[in-house]
Amino acid sequence: MALPIRYHWRNLLVRRTTSALTILVVTAVVGTLTWILGFFLALQSSLSVAGDAHKLLIIQRGTTSETNSAISPEEFNRLAQLAGVARDPESGEPLISPELYWQTQLPRLRDGGATRANVALRGVTLRAFEVHRNIRLLGERFSVGEPQVIVGRAAAAQFAGLAVGDVIRIGVGESREFRVVGHFDAGGGPMESEIWMYLPAMQSAYLRNGYSSVSVRLEDPASAPAAIEQVRSAPIELSAEREADYWRNQTSNVRFYQAVCFVLVAIMSLAAAFALANTMYASVAGRAREIAMLRTIGYRPHHILLGFVMESVLLSLIGGLLGCVACAAYLELVGSTKDMFGSSTFTTMAFDIRLTPLLVGWSLASVAVIGVIGALPPAWRAARTHVLTALREP
Amino acid sequence: MGAAGIVLRDVHKAYFKDRLEIPVLAGLNLEIAPGEFAALMGPSGSGKSTLLHLIGGLDTPTRGSVRVGDSQLESMSESALTAWRSRHVGFIFQMYHLVPVLTAAQNVELPLLLFRMASSERKRRVQTALSIVGLGDRTDHRPNQLSGGQEQRVAIARAIVTDPDVLLADEPTGDLDARTSEEILNLLNALNTEFGKTIVMVTHDPRAAGHAGRTLHLDKGVLDREEVNTRRAATASAS
Repeated sequence: MALPIRYHWRNLLVRRTTSALTILVVTAVVGTLTWILGFFLALQSSLSVAGDAHKLLIIQRGTTSETNSAISPEEFNRLAQLAGVARDPESGEPLISPELYWQTQLPRLRDGGATRANVALRGVTLRAFEVHRNIRLLGERFSVGEPQVIVGRAAAAQFAGLAVGDVIRIGVGESREFRVVGHFDAGGGPMESEIWMYLPAMQSAYLRNGYSSVSVRLEDPASAPAAIEQVRSAPIELSAEREADYWRNQTSNVRFYQAVCFVLVAIMSLAAAFALANTMYASVAGRAREIAMLRTIGYRPHHILLGFVMESVLLSLIGGLLGCVACAAYLELVGSTKDMFGSSTFTTMAFDIRLTPLLVGWSLASVAVIGVIGALPPAWRAARTHVLTALREP
Repeated sequence: MGAAGIVLRDVHKAYFKDRLEIPVLAGLNLEIAPGEFAALMGPSGSGKSTLLHLIGGLDTPTRGSVRVGDSQLESMSESALTAWRSRHVGFIFQMYHLVPVLTAAQNVELPLLLFRMASSERKRRVQTALSIVGLGDRTDHRPNQLSGGQEQRVAIARAIVTDPDVLLADEPTGDLDARTSEEILNLLNALNTEFGKTIVMVTHDPRAAGHAGRTLHLDKGVLDREEVNTRRAATASAS
C-alpha cells in the first residue's frame, strides 16, 4: 500500500456530504447488526448456563414441556428406584426435586405496565436448591408454609411489582396474596426469569396435588443415557432429557427469529454495500485525472485498487464505530434486558444483552467486509482507468 | 542519475476508432542527445503528444523502436514500463495534476512513496526539490492556496524529486500568463543546464520553444523540419 492514509482520509473529508450520508447508512446497519448479534449471543449464553450436565429433567410421557406435563404423586414415588442419582451428603436422601410449573400474567416494566405478559411460576421444595446448584439467593428465601415468593433477577427487571416487599396475587382467580421476600440469580440462565415459591403453597393456590416436572441430580453425567432409558422404561414410564437439551427445544422458535433477523441484516448489509459502492463510483469518476497522474508517475493498478478499498473500509469503519456507539446508547436508554417468548413454555424468558469486546470486534469485522465488497467494483474500475484518455479530460 | 539519450527508429503509431485505422505517427525517426532540451511543435493532430507518450512509456508503438537511455521500451510489458517510468521519467502536465487534498510537500512526496526509503531521506529530497523550484517556504500550502505558476513549480518539483534521466513536459506553460510562463521556462532551462536533465517539451508557443536548444516540427506524423535555437545555444555556451 503505497498511498498514505492521510490521502484517503482527506479525500473523504472533501466529499463531506456524501461521506456523511454513507456513514449514516452504515451506522444504521451496524447498530442493528450489533443489537441482533448481542441478542443471540445473550440467548446462547443464557441457554449454556442452563446446561448443567448433572441434571435431568423428567416430564410426562408424550409431552414436550413442563407447561402441559402432569406427573402424579404415584409416578413421582416410582422415581425413587432411579439409579445413579446423587445424594445429600448429610441426610443420604436422593437429590430429586418435584416441581409444579404454572404461569401468571404481570404488567411489563418496559411500557410502564400498559401490557401484561406471562411469567413462569415454579413451586419447589427446599431440595430444589441442592439440585439446581446455579441458584444463588440475593436476600431471603421463602419460608416453608408462608405465602412468600422469591423472584429471579431477570423477572424482577422485566415485570412491575416484583420488588422485595411487594405483594402479587396468584392462584385460581388470583385469590391468594404472596409477598416477595427476596430475589435470586441463576447465573443468567432461563430460571432467572421465574418466580419461585414453596411447592405445597403453590399446589394449594392452584388446587393441584401433582407435579409438572421432576429435576434430578445425577452422581455422574456419564450415567445420563442409562438414567434416561430407565425413566422411559417400565415401571417409571416418563420422559427424561438432559437440561441443556430441554431448554434448547423450548427455544426452538429462536432459530426462526434468527433466520428472519439475519435475512433482514443481509438485506441492510447489501444496502450499505450499495451505498458505499455508489459513493466510491462517484469518487472514482471525480478523480479520473488524479488516478491517471498517479499511474503516470509509477503507481500500479493494484495500488489504485487498494487505495479505493482503503477509503471505503475507512468509511465503513467510521460508520461501524458509530453504529456500536448507537447500539450502546440504545441499550443504555431502553435497557439491556431483553425478553423472548418461549415457544413451548409460553412464558417470557429474559436475558441481558452486553456489548462485549468480542461483539464489537465481530461487528467491525463484518462492516469492514461490507466495505471491501462495496469498494471492489468501483476500485476495479479505477485500477483500469485508461491513463491517456483520463489525462486529456477537461 | 545522469541524462539519457532518446532514439526512435521508424516509429509508427495508429489508433483504431470503429474499426477504422487512424495513423498518427508514420515512420518517424528521431534522436535526442543526452542532456538536450528539445521542443516539439506542430499543428493539432500532428502526433506531438503521442510522441511524448511513447518516449514516456505511457504508450507503445504499433511498429518501430523507442530507446530511452539503455531501455528498449517497445519490448517492455506494461508492468515493466510502469516501474521504469517511476525511476527514469518525470512528467510535467499543462494542468499540473496536483492532488488537491495534499500539501505541496505531500504532492512532491508521492513518487517517493513507491520506493523503500527512510522517512527522513524522503523529507530531505522533498525539501531539496521544492527549494530548487523556489518554493522551499511553501511546503505546507495546499494547491488551492498557490498561484498557477506556483502549482506548476510544485508539479516540476514532483517530476524531479526522484532524480529522473528525462523530463517530459506537455504544454507546461499552456495555462499560464506570459510572465509566469517565462519563469517556468527559465526553471526548465536551469534543470537542463545546471542538472543536465534531458528535456522534451511539447508546445504551441514559439516563444516557449525558443527556450529549447532545438525545435522539432512534426506534421502528419513525421518530422517535417528542425531548427537549432541559436539564442539558446549562445546562452547555454555562455553559462
